[in-house]
Amino acid sequence: MMKLVGIVGTNATQSTNRQLLQYMQRHFADQAGLEICEIVDLPAFNEPEQHVAPAAVQTLSDAISAADGVIFATPEYDHSIPAALKSAIEWLSYTTRPLINKPVMIVGASNGSLGTSRAQAHLRQILEAPELKALVMPNVEYLLGHSLQAFDANGDLVDADKRHELDQAFNEFVAFVGLTEKLTPTETFFEQSRQFSWSQITNGEDL
Amino acid sequence: MKKLVGIVGTNARHSYNRQLLTFMQRHFQDQAEIEILELTDVPLFNESTDGSDSPVIQNFNQKITAADGVIIATPEHNHSLPSALKSILEWLSFKLHPLDGKPVMIVGASYSVQGSSRAQLHLRQVLDAPGVNASVMPGSEFLLGRAQAAFDEQGNLKVSGTVDFLDSCFAKFLKFVDVIGELNVPDAISYQPGTYAVHATGHNGEIPMSVTLSKDRIENIQIDTSTETAGISDVAFERIPKAIIDGQTLAVDAISGASMTSHGVIDGVATAVKEAGANPDDLKKRRGGTTAAQPEAPVQTLDTDVVIVGAGGAGLTAAAKVLQSGQRALVLEKFPSVGGNTVRAGGPMNAADPDWQNQFAAIPGEKHTLKALAELDPQTIDPEYRADFETLRGQINDYLNQTTGQPGYLFDSKLLHRIQTYLGGKRTDLNGHKIYGQYDLVKELTDHALDSVKWLESIGVQFDQSQVTMPVGAIWRRGHKPMGDLGFAYIKALQPYVESHGGTIMTETAVQRLTTADGRITGLIAEGPAHQRIEVTAKAVILASGGFAANVKMLQKYNTYWTAIDDDIQTTNSPAMTGDGIELGTRVGADLVGMGFSQMMPVSDPDTGELFTGLQVPPQNYVMVNQQGKRFVNEYGSRDELTQAAIDNGSLFYLIADDEIKKTAYNTSQEKIDQQVAAGTLFRANTLADLAKQIKVDPAVLTATIKAYNSYVDAGEDPEFHKNAFDLKVQVAPFYATPRKPATHHTMGGLKIDTGAHVLNAGGQVINGLYAAGEVAGGIHAGNRLGGNSLADIFTFGRIAAASAVADECAVETE
Repeated sequence: MMKLVGIVGTNATQSTNRQLLQYMQRHFADQAGLEICEIVDLPAFNEPEQHVAPAAVQTLSDAISAADGVIFATPEYDHSIPAALKSAIEWLSYTTRPLINKPVMIVGASNGSLGTSRAQAHLRQILEAPELKALVMPNVEYLLGHSLQAFDANGDLVDADKRHELDQAFNEFVAFVGLTEKLTPTETFFEQSRQFSWSQITNGEDL
Repeated sequence: MKKLVGIVGTNARHSYNRQLLTFMQRHFQDQAEIEILELTDVPLFNESTDGSDSPVIQNFNQKITAADGVIIATPEHNHSLPSALKSILEWLSFKLHPLDGKPVMIVGASYSVQGSSRAQLHLRQVLDAPGVNASVMPGSEFLLGRAQAAFDEQGNLKVSGTVDFLDSCFAKFLKFVDVIGELNVPDAISYQPGTYAVHATGHNGEIPMSVTLSKDRIENIQIDTSTETAGISDVAFERIPKAIIDGQTLAVDAISGASMTSHGVIDGVATAVKEAGANPDDLKKRRGGTTAAQPEAPVQTLDTDVVIVGAGGAGLTAAAKVLQSGQRALVLEKFPSVGGNTVRAGGPMNAADPDWQNQFAAIPGEKHTLKALAELDPQTIDPEYRADFETLRGQINDYLNQTTGQPGYLFDSKLLHRIQTYLGGKRTDLNGHKIYGQYDLVKELTDHALDSVKWLESIGVQFDQSQVTMPVGAIWRRGHKPMGDLGFAYIKALQPYVESHGGTIMTETAVQRLTTADGRITGLIAEGPAHQRIEVTAKAVILASGGFAANVKMLQKYNTYWTAIDDDIQTTNSPAMTGDGIELGTRVGADLVGMGFSQMMPVSDPDTGELFTGLQVPPQNYVMVNQQGKRFVNEYGSRDELTQAAIDNGSLFYLIADDEIKKTAYNTSQEKIDQQVAAGTLFRANTLADLAKQIKVDPAVLTATIKAYNSYVDAGEDPEFHKNAFDLKVQVAPFYATPRKPATHHTMGGLKIDTGAHVLNAGGQVINGLYAAGEVAGGIHAGNRLGGNSLADIFTFGRIAAASAVADECAVETE
C-alpha cells in the first residue's frame, strides 16, 4: 500500500489542520497508510555552521524519505505559512533535503472563509525553491474554510461537498504519486540538488 | 530628527542584511537615527504558549511603537522570508500590534542576482495582513544581489550607482513617513449626545446596558446585572467600564476568567458609539498605553503569620478564623476576583440540625428511604462505619415506631448524614479498585457541619429558616440555604469580614512554589499582577485553591473511573480550577488520595459547560436521544449513570421536548429561547422530522423513538430502559432539541490530610507548616460527592485548617 507522510503545519496545541489530517488518515485508510508528523518539537532554524540535522529534524526527514508522498496541512498566519512550518522547511532544505523529487499535496484549514488560499500559494513557491525541489501536485488545491465548524464530534467532515472534494483531490494525488514514479531524473540531478547552496554561486550564475 | 528601527531579518551569525543596515545607519546618520534590532533571541512563535509579555517581544513592541518608521532587511530562504523574521511578525500581530499603521521600508540582500526579490514580495503580503496592518512604502524596491561582493573592507557599498539608488529610496521613505503620519492622525471623535440602550453578552445571555455619551466623551456605562449569576463576572462589570471611561478607549484588555463578559461589555459600548455616529474602530485604535509593558518591578517581600492560597469559600473562611485568633492572615488569589467556585454553587449547605428539621413535616417517600436504609445488611457496611450504622438503625427504628400511622416529621441526625455521605461516596473504578470516604474525615465533617452554619451566621451570613432544601444530588433534606445570591451570599459576608478585621487579600497573584527550610514550610513565592516576584514568609501555609475540574489534561492523567474523558470536555467550574494546590503540595512531598474519581454534570451545554442554557426540565420530562436519534438510557438515572451512558454514545446527546414540556423548564424565558434558537444553540421545528434534520439524525429513527416513548408514557412502563417516572408525552408542536454533553463538575481526589487538615506525606507524616482545606484535599467524598456537601466541607475544614495552623505554629506568640 502507498505510504504517505502528513505534516501538521503548526506548533499550536489546538489545530484544525491536525484534525483534517487525522480525518484523512482514517478516511483513506484502505487507500494509503498516512503517518502524521508534528513539527512542535523541532528547534527554531538558526543556520548552524555544520549542515547537520538535529535529531528531531532527522526523524522527520527519515519519515519523508521513506514515504511515497507528502501532504502538508498548513494554517495561514498573516497571509503566509506559519513561522514554525517555515522553520521546519528551512531545516530540511539546509540539511538533508528529503523533499527533492517527492510528490507533495497541499491542504489547509482556517477559521476564516478563505481557507488558507494565500498561505498555500506561498507554500507552493517555497517548495519550488532549488534547495527543496519538491514535485507539488499542480492544479489541485484543497481549502477548508470555517474550519472550527467543519468537523463533527467524531472528527468527520460535516459538509458532504467538502468530503467529496477531498476524496477527489486525494484520488488525484494517488494518481499523481504513481505518475511521478515514472519520472526518473538522472542521478546527477539529485546530486546537484543535494549540493546546491546559494553561497556557492559567487559568480552570479543562477541555477 | 526621525527615529527609525531597523530589523535584521535573520538570526544567522553572518548576514549581509545586517551589514546593509549597519551601512545605512552610518550613511544616513545626519538624516535619521536608526536603531538596529536583532532576532537572535526571539523564540519561535507559538499561539498556545503566549510570549507577548516576555522582555524580548516587549522590547520589539516598545521600540517599534516609539519609532517613526521601520526598515526591514530580509534575506531570502527558499524563495520566501526566513522563519525567524516571520516569527517576530507573528508575535507582533497576535496580542500586540505595534506595526499597525507604521511606515515600513523593505530592503534585502542575497547571494544571487535575485537580491531577495521573491522574499520581498512575500514580506509585502505578510505586512499587508490585517493583524500586522503596516503601511509599506510602495515602489522603490531595493534589492542587493551578489551581496558577498557588494561591500568594501570598511563595510561601505562599493558601487556608487547602488548608493545613489539607496539614497533616493531612503529620501522617499522619509517623505513617506510624514505622509503616513498624517494618515494616522485620528479623526476627532464626536458623538450624538445621549443615552443609548444596548446589550452586552453575559454569562447567562444578553444583559441590558445603557451608555451615556456627551459630545466628545463616554460619560457613563450602566449595566443591569440582575440576570447574571452574582460573583462570576462582577469584576468585568466593574473594571471594563471603568477602563473604557478612564482611557476613553475600546482597546482594553479582557479580564481573565471573565473574558466573554469583558468582550460583551466592550462590544456593547461599541454598538452605542456606532449608534451615536462615531466609528468604534477609532476608539479601538486608542490603545491608552495598555499594551506597553510595565517597568520591571522590584521583588516584594511580605511577612505574615498564615498565608492562604485561594480566595474561595475555604480560603476566606480560614483567613477569617486566623484573624479571630488574633493572628495575621494574607490571602493570595490568582484570579482578579475572589469567590472561586463558591460563587458558582447553588447555595444550600448540608448540616444535620434535627431541632430545626423536626419542625418540618416528612414528605412521601422519606420514611420509605429510612426504612430501606435500616434494613441494609450490616455486613455490606465497611467495618469502620458499622458501629455508627447500628446506632443509626436504632435511631431510625425509634423514629418509625414513634410516628407509626402518621405522616411524621423530617428526621435527621449526624449519623444519618455520616452514613449517607459514606454510602453516596462508595464507588468502584475501572480497575476494580474500591473507594469510600475515610471514616475519621467523614466523622469530622458530619460532626462539625452544623457548627459551621452557626459560625457563618456569626460573621454575617443569613440563612433562610423557613425552608429546608435538598440540593441536587444530596439524597436528604438538610440544606441550609443562605438568603439571596446563591453561593455568592457566603463570599459577600466573608470578604468584607476578612478585610475589615485586618486581613489582606491580594488578587491576580499566582503562587508558584512553596518554600521550605529544615523540613518545614516557610512560606511561598508568587507572581503579582505586574509580573513582580512576591516572596512571603509565614509560619504556616493553608492550601485552599480548589480542585482540578478545569484542567482536562490532569483529569485524563489521573482518571480511573470514566471510560473516556474528551479533550474538549467543558466544565461547570471557574476556569481557575486547574489543580494548582495539588501541584504545589506534591512538589513538597505531599501524598495524594482518590485522584482517579471525578464527578460529571451530565446535562451541560456542549460549548460552555453551563447548566442554564437550553431547556432544563424536571427529569421525569427528560427524553434523551443520542446522535442516531435513539434513546440510550433511563433518563431518571443517577448523574454517574447518565454520564457514562453519554460517554458510551459519543458524549453529545439531545434533550427532546415539545411545547408542553417546554413550559416545565425552570431556567429560561421565551426571549432567551428565541435568542438561542437564532444563535443555533437550541433547535426548534414544527415537526419531529424537521427537528431530526436540524440535529442531523435520520427523521424516521427520531420519529419512531418518540412514538415508542409516548407509548411507554401511556402504558406507565418503559420496557427498554425502565425509566422510573414519567410525566408528559412529546406531542405538541413546536418541538425542541437541546444539545447536551457531560461537563466536569467536581474532583473528589486531592492532597492527603488528617482530621486536623495537616497535609501528609507518603509516609503518613505531617508536613510541618502545611495545611489543606476544600476541594484541593481528598479522602472525604471518595467516589461521589453528595450535593450540598462541598459547602459543608469548605466551611468546616477551612476552620479546622486555620485552628490547627494557629495552634501548631503561632502558639508561642499568643502566650
